[in-house]
Amino acid sequence: MVSEIWTEKYRPVKFSEMVGQDNVVKRVESLTKSLNIPHLLFAGPAGTGKSTLALIIVKDLFGADWRDNYLELNASDERGINVVREKVKNFARTKSLGNVPFKVIFLDEADALTPEAQQALRRTMENYSATCRFILSCNYSTKIIDPIQSRCAIFRFKLLEKKDVEKVIERIGENEKLTIAPESVEILYEGSEGDCRRCINLLQGTASISPSITPDLVSTIISNTKPKDVRVVLDYAISGDFIKAKEKLFDIMLKESISGQDLIKAIQKEIWNIPVEPEIKVRLTEKTGETEFRIIEGSDPFVQLQALLASFVLAGLGKD
Amino acid sequence: MSWTEKYRPKKFNELKGQAEAISKSRNFLANFPKKKSMIFYGPPGTGKTTLAYVLAYETDSEILEINASDLRNREKLRAVLKPALEQRSLLKQRKIILVDEVDGITKFDYGGLTELLNLIDSAKWPVILVANDIWDKRFTPLRKKSEMVQMKEVDYRTIKDVLISVLRRENLFVDNELLTGIAVKAKGDMRAAINDLQIASEMEDPSKILDNDRNKEVDIFNALRLVFKEKPTESLLRLYDSVNMPMDQILLWIEENIPLEYKAKELERAYDALSRADVFKGRIYKQQYWRFLVYENILLSYGISASKEGVKRGFTNYKKPDRILKIWMNNQRTAKKKSIAQKFAAYVHVGQKRAMAEFPIIKMILNNPEIRRELKLEKEEEDYLESH
Repeated sequence: MVSEIWTEKYRPVKFSEMVGQDNVVKRVESLTKSLNIPHLLFAGPAGTGKSTLALIIVKDLFGADWRDNYLELNASDERGINVVREKVKNFARTKSLGNVPFKVIFLDEADALTPEAQQALRRTMENYSATCRFILSCNYSTKIIDPIQSRCAIFRFKLLEKKDVEKVIERIGENEKLTIAPESVEILYEGSEGDCRRCINLLQGTASISPSITPDLVSTIISNTKPKDVRVVLDYAISGDFIKAKEKLFDIMLKESISGQDLIKAIQKEIWNIPVEPEIKVRLTEKTGETEFRIIEGSDPFVQLQALLASFVLAGLGKD
Repeated sequence: MSWTEKYRPKKFNELKGQAEAISKSRNFLANFPKKKSMIFYGPPGTGKTTLAYVLAYETDSEILEINASDLRNREKLRAVLKPALEQRSLLKQRKIILVDEVDGITKFDYGGLTELLNLIDSAKWPVILVANDIWDKRFTPLRKKSEMVQMKEVDYRTIKDVLISVLRRENLFVDNELLTGIAVKAKGDMRAAINDLQIASEMEDPSKILDNDRNKEVDIFNALRLVFKEKPTESLLRLYDSVNMPMDQILLWIEENIPLEYKAKELERAYDALSRADVFKGRIYKQQYWRFLVYENILLSYGISASKEGVKRGFTNYKKPDRILKIWMNNQRTAKKKSIAQKFAAYVHVGQKRAMAEFPIIKMILNNPEIRRELKLEKEEEDYLESH
């Protein structure tokens, strides 16, 4: 059955269908054809094809039986490294089917594991190296401990260029009988920041309203998916109403389940739109950076964001 | 006999330090039944119940006292109140209904609260409600109906004057400095001051009364008062040891109440201290290095206290932190959202967290009924999508 979710429907299934990442694809393809792949580490931004390439590898290796020989895990979803190890253990217990002497385990977002957890992962990789190959994916390879890096062939995925994303959009547009204005492509690309999966989701979201993909419609959809009320929070703070700002902030974090770090990103961008003197903008930006640092170091993003709002209140009073 | 009973004020001019509350409550009685109830609220020992009795004495009324816990027992309440509500008193012309400890009506006791509202509506006599803290949401209907009369913490000089007059009548002498000490230590609580004075007068070394509360458990409200209102002193560093509450919980209480006390520069400084305390808390968890607790504690006590200029006066109704509860309730509400995101995430090979973050756009994609079937969404999940 063909999926109606476009990220699935149009997901490349052959090496030749991959967009961008030419160098990576060529090398991975030749490793796969030799039937002897090492552990792999895919590093690169979201939506550049890491999971897709992993799927292509297993489909190429195992053909129709790929599901029996492939385990997909997401490090940021599993409750701790022990769950990961347990699942790996169960999966690795049976031998692979067919003529490939190993099974494949894909561990997405491996950089979500703490260094200690990664040490445990390293031992697991060693224990099962006779029967399993690991493909790890991460945003930054620097967040992966050296012993794991040295056991893997590392592949770096680039952010997709505009022409690559355009190709994808065009193909979907033709197939789904959409009319897409050239500017809409531009906006979709900007709005998805080079993340192809997000771009396709935005396109499908827009198309669920109308098959005519106008720039206005796309912009509306994009602004609907962004943390909306960050400006409202800052406005309350600047006008001196700390308690309202705090309540609204909490509301956003709760109802839209937006993480502290995503909110910080939005606040940092919004500083340029609030009516304060240039030197105060600089000060607030520095404060925002400090807050981002403390969110990573600290335990409770909401506490840190409140502290930042207190600085906005002060900025609104024209003092520093 | 305890001095607090023996010297309980009977007349307006004997009740010290509450001139505003007295005049407000007299006006209320004069205008009755424009409003049928009034609420005396404020910290313990400021004279709330006393003021009710003084009003009764001065207006020649009979007090009919019920405890809020009686409200639950409808039969008993009716039996006690009904004749009094409808007939005239044989002895005295007028009556005042006094309901004590109204804030003792729990969140789950809707019956009691409704009964109290009915009681006020049907009362033929003024109803006085007494409470320490009346600011919880559940009391909104009560507050709307009632005249609000605040009883403020009594100034220590006023307390000292009262202590002196008690001593004079008891023919006793206590050292002036000790009197000041007792008055200050009471923190606005007249009853506590008089009790302390009585105990001190019977002690061999009366000055010991002042270091009595070292071992006493401090409740969180008092701890907050010390931190937010008083000058920072080193004794604050041990304050949270005597609060029976884990440090994480204390941090939430501080967080909830900073904006009630501090504004502008003070607000920013206090939040900076809180933020730094949270950074140490994070380091404790991540590195399991418990010595960092020392710094967390200092920032949360002395650090918060030193964020202000001078001292703070007046009574603040500190709020109980409810953030954790709200998060929990929200999680219950969004359980369906989560299960939908989970199905979607597994299906398209992404993490659940990312699917949650992109939920607005996923929801649009799920407008397509075919896709909903494809993901095998359950009825409840479809309902969630319909209703949001």
